[in-house]
Order: sequence, then C-alpha cells, then structure tokens
Amino acid sequence: MSIPPKLQEIVDDFASMTREEKLETLIAYSETMPPLPERFKEARDKMEEVPECMTPVCLFAEKEDDDRITFHFDIPPQSPTVRGLTSILANGLNGATLQEIISVPADFFLPMKLDEAVSQQRIHGFMGVLAHMKQAAVRASAE
Amino acid sequence: MSYVHPEYLVDTEWVAAHSNDPDVRVIESDEDPLLYAIGHVPGAVQVDWFSTLQHPLRRDFLTREKFEEVASKLGITNDTTVVFYGDKSNWFACYALWLFQYYGHKNVRIMNGGRLKWEKENRPLVKEVPSYPETTYKAKDADKSIRAFRDEVLKQSSSKKPLVDVRSPKEYSGELISMPNYPQEGATRGGHIPGAVSIPWAQAVNEADATFKTPEELRALYEGKGVSPDAGEVIAYCRIGERSSLTWFVLKYLLGYPKVKNYDGSWTEWGNLVDAPIEKSV
Repeated sequence: MSIPPKLQEIVDDFASMTREEKLETLIAYSETMPPLPERFKEARDKMEEVPECMTPVCLFAEKEDDDRITFHFDIPPQSPTVRGLTSILANGLNGATLQEIISVPADFFLPMKLDEAVSQQRIHGFMGVLAHMKQAAVRASAE
Repeated sequence: MSYVHPEYLVDTEWVAAHSNDPDVRVIESDEDPLLYAIGHVPGAVQVDWFSTLQHPLRRDFLTREKFEEVASKLGITNDTTVVFYGDKSNWFACYALWLFQYYGHKNVRIMNGGRLKWEKENRPLVKEVPSYPETTYKAKDADKSIRAFRDEVLKQSSSKKPLVDVRSPKEYSGELISMPNYPQEGATRGGHIPGAVSIPWAQAVNEADATFKTPEELRALYEGKGVSPDAGEVIAYCRIGERSSLTWFVLKYLLGYPKVKNYDGSWTEWGNLVDAPIEKSV
C-alpha cells in the first residue's frame, strides 16, 4: 500500500492547516473542479439518480494511451463540500496508473484531520468516492 | 384557509427589508456548510448543525451553557427575532430552529424558500462575514416536549399512536440502508418503526422554489395518511433527525398540531438498537 506523490503532497498540506485554512482550501478545490466533458453527458443522463438527500457523485474513469487513468466528475455546485473533497481525489490521482490507484489505502486521509472541518458523514462519503474511483479505474483498464 | 401560525414564516422580501434591523438576526444553516462562505444573505451569520450545534463528544446537542455562548457570540438577545434559512429546502434551517426552540428561544422564523428562492430571485449574496456585539443570552431548560427519545418512541409504536417516517420510500421499505455509491451514517438493519406511516419530507415543499406547499395541500398530505391533529401526539423521524425537523415545523406551525415531537435519534439509533422492533415492507 502506498500513496502517489501528488496525493501525498495534498495530504501533507492539509496535515499542517488550521480548520479555517482547510475550509478555504476545500472551497478552492471545489471551484477548480473542471466541468464534465461533453462526451460523457449522454452517459451521465442515463445514470440512475441517487435518491434524495445524498449528493449525487457522477464519475467516469478513462484509460489514456499510456495506460494512465483520468477521472471526470459531475457534481452540482450547490454541494461545495462534496465537490471539494472529490476534487482532492481527482487532483491527487489523475494520471496515476491502475496499480497506484488501487494501492491507495482506504484510510490514507487520516493525517489530513478532515474531521476538524467536515462531518463524519462527509468523511464516509469521501471514502465511498475513493472506493468507487478504484472500481471505475479497474473497469476502464479492462476495456 | 391559511397556515395556523403564519407568523413563523417570512418571505425573502421581508428578509431583504430587515437586513439592517438590529432586532432581527438572520442565520444560515445548511446541509453543506461551505455554501455560507461562498456567498450568503447580506448580514446573515452561520450555524453549522455539526460543528456548532452538536456536542463535541456525545451524540447529543450542545449543552445549554454552550448554546448560550453560541447565541451570545452571534449577537442574539432573548428578544431577537431569529430568521433561519438554508439549502435543500430549509432542512437544516428547520433543524436549527427546532434546536433554538429546544433551548427556549420563542421568537423564530423560517425564510420561506431558503437559499434556492433567494438565488432564483437574483438577490445579492455576499462573502463578508458580519460581526455583532456580544450579548448576554440566557437559555431556558431544554424543552423535552418537542424532542422524543427512544423509550417514548417504543411506547408510541406499541400503543399504535402516530409515527411519521419522512425518509425516502426505499429507506422506509427497508430495501436501502445506505445509498448506492455513497455510504452514509450506518444502521445495521433496514426498515421502519412498526406502525410508522411513510410521508417523505419533500412532499411538503414545492420543488421549483423550495417554499412550503399550501395549507390545503399539506392538510391533505398528512390527514390523507391518517395523521390528523386530533390523533394525539405525533412523532416524526428520519435518519439523523434533520429532514424530520422540517416535517416537525410543518405539523407544529403550519398545520398547528398541538403535540409534535422530533425523534433525532431516528433511524441511525433505531436501526442499531438491540431488541427494537422493526417492520419491513419489501
């Protein structure tokens, strides 16, 4: 189990931040999440909607020519926390290999002390998104 | 027909007109607390259901002393009119209002339509965080008449008195405990409290602008499921007590039911409680 360097850098950054800095950084990550590329929109519209109350996290993984994986997301701007957290994973894992992605330990984020800034519910969601990204990467690699 | 207590609602126009009123404090309370930092109603302060309103250690609300501290820091006096608004059709705005009432703050309002309506009307959202002179706030003893605990819920269920489950239909039936792709606060069992009727919270609001439905529509919704004002005490629950605080607000103030409680332990307590009876309808 290991953490790709880009993701490790984000973990280290967060580890030294105050609660306020963490919240500001989450907003910044939320704002820099790129829109879903046109080519995925048809597939998105066919996806089953997650029933009320939870923020839908629509994600796609793509295998590049060099076998590295790129993730694309569609998350409503009304949910900046979920966008911000997911954007951390995207920034940390985009361009990684399948092996690197599936090797990320499920508790890699513990040193970030996210619980100072977001609720336990969000952290569960964050873990869920990582698990989902791993599955999507496995599927994209098999294609 | 009008709401039984229309004074508990204000509209966006009223809030815009009172943004500098020293007797009014506008509070944003969101499902996603980062929304406040991105932009809020001018003059509004923020409470976060999790980091502001919960006990830091136990599964409970903040203590009365801590509540007094929070209210003082927000510049609220015992006479301030406190107006709540938020995202997701005012779920957590209702939750915060309910908690303010729990500690005895009587003068509370919901801004009908919440963030959604404010945004749709292109009203200003600002990033500036205001500060108000600290006050000396005195809370009252917790008002247990609006909060249900598990033993009362068990009695309510076994004596076949009204219980309203406001979760989504699949959570009620027991088909879902956690949403696909999105693990959440866990319960080890799925289903609902025996005797509870399913009236999903969202049926009480208009999807287009997050305002509450008309008194006629609301009455038909709840009475149509056998939950009427003369049926005695009503207990509402969901998963952690946030969606059901909206239902609590509707039943208590918009429809004027005499006795309504919110069971904040909700499914994350009941679905984990050893020996608690459960019904499933899958």
